[in-house]
Amino acid sequence: MAQGRQTDAAMSRPDDATAWSTLMARVQDGDAVAYRRLLEDVTPYLRSLVTRHRGLSGETEDVVQDILLTLHAVRHTYDPDRPFGPWLVAIARRRIVDRLRRRGRIAAAETSLEPEHETIAATAANIHMTIDRRRELQEAIRALPAGQRQALLLLKLRGLSLKEAALESGMSIAALKVASHRALKALREMLGKRT
Amino acid sequence: MVSTPDLIDELCTGLKPVRRLRPPLLRTALWLLLAATIVALLAAFRGTRTDLLLLLQAPAFAAAFAGSLLTGALSAVAAFQLSLPDRPRLWLLLSAPPLVLWLSTIGYGCLTDWVSLGPDGVRLGSTLECFATLLLVSLPAAAALALMLRSTAWIDPTPVAISGGLAVGGIAASAMTLLHDLDATVMVLVWTLGATALIAALGGLLGRRIFRPL
Repeated sequence: MAQGRQTDAAMSRPDDATAWSTLMARVQDGDAVAYRRLLEDVTPYLRSLVTRHRGLSGETEDVVQDILLTLHAVRHTYDPDRPFGPWLVAIARRRIVDRLRRRGRIAAAETSLEPEHETIAATAANIHMTIDRRRELQEAIRALPAGQRQALLLLKLRGLSLKEAALESGMSIAALKVASHRALKALREMLGKRT
Repeated sequence: MVSTPDLIDELCTGLKPVRRLRPPLLRTALWLLLAATIVALLAAFRGTRTDLLLLLQAPAFAAAFAGSLLTGALSAVAAFQLSLPDRPRLWLLLSAPPLVLWLSTIGYGCLTDWVSLGPDGVRLGSTLECFATLLLVSLPAAAALALMLRSTAWIDPTPVAISGGLAVGGIAASAMTLLHDLDATVMVLVWTLGATALIAALGGLLGRRIFRPL
């Protein structure tokens, strides 16, 4: 009803719509020539429908093909007594909405790759910390309990293996594991709170 | 990615004639006939409730029964319409008036004290039997509906599934009203409305899984 009026208004060339109706009826009877003409005729129209949605830039052809495939799959649902335009536009709208939704879902779950995520081989290039943050980190490490601080220094900063760190510190491997885990957690909390 | 002209080539190659879908009203009638057959078979095997004729003369009972039956039938009409791509979602509202009537009978029944609770109050004795009837009616009816709507409903599955759920629920509720000696109208209403709401909600939630692209 309301949608019908809207879609009629959206049809750019109403005279085409009647021709499309006839073509579609022939398609249902298996006329491949009519089908090719219809699909080639509606494709630019569909493209213009899709490009109106800015969220789909770069995917226009994908969405147009999606709509053509859907049209193919449901071609038996077209009633030749009814106008073709609203039928086509309704299918196109559904596909566009589906695509926009999927885009939204993907965008919500992903973080785009920014230049600062680039990792460069030189160590210095990967240090983004300002002097301020570095001081904060040093203070946080200093604030850790002695056992945790030692485990962190040996395992994470000097990069020793668990066995080597156990020999050097006299702590058991299990205790080292626990201490370094707790140290990282504590650091994360301390630094997280201040940001 | 395939280019669009190539896709068109592919679609046109070996195009076969398709059988046009029958008009939605005819398909609705077919489904309702099937549902009526299921209920009739059940009634033939286990008989209708003994006081049915008497109860139908009571306005609240008759209104509730008409409400559930019309909700089922009109929701089926809506489901078949909504399964076609170019029908507006306004069809969802078609079954709203009988649904409101059906819901309002709960309040009416309580207010007029028409419901006789009896010395034991509302009993839950026939709950299991009720559940069996609910399943016996709604499972085959839902399966048939899903099968009939399958080829088209995946384009926009949720509204179709909600109306489909209401259709199955309304019919199953009417069957329960016909077949079961529930002790009080309130019981019938709570049971049938609860079941309908559940089926419609399931339809809405699972719509996208039931109706997948072919």
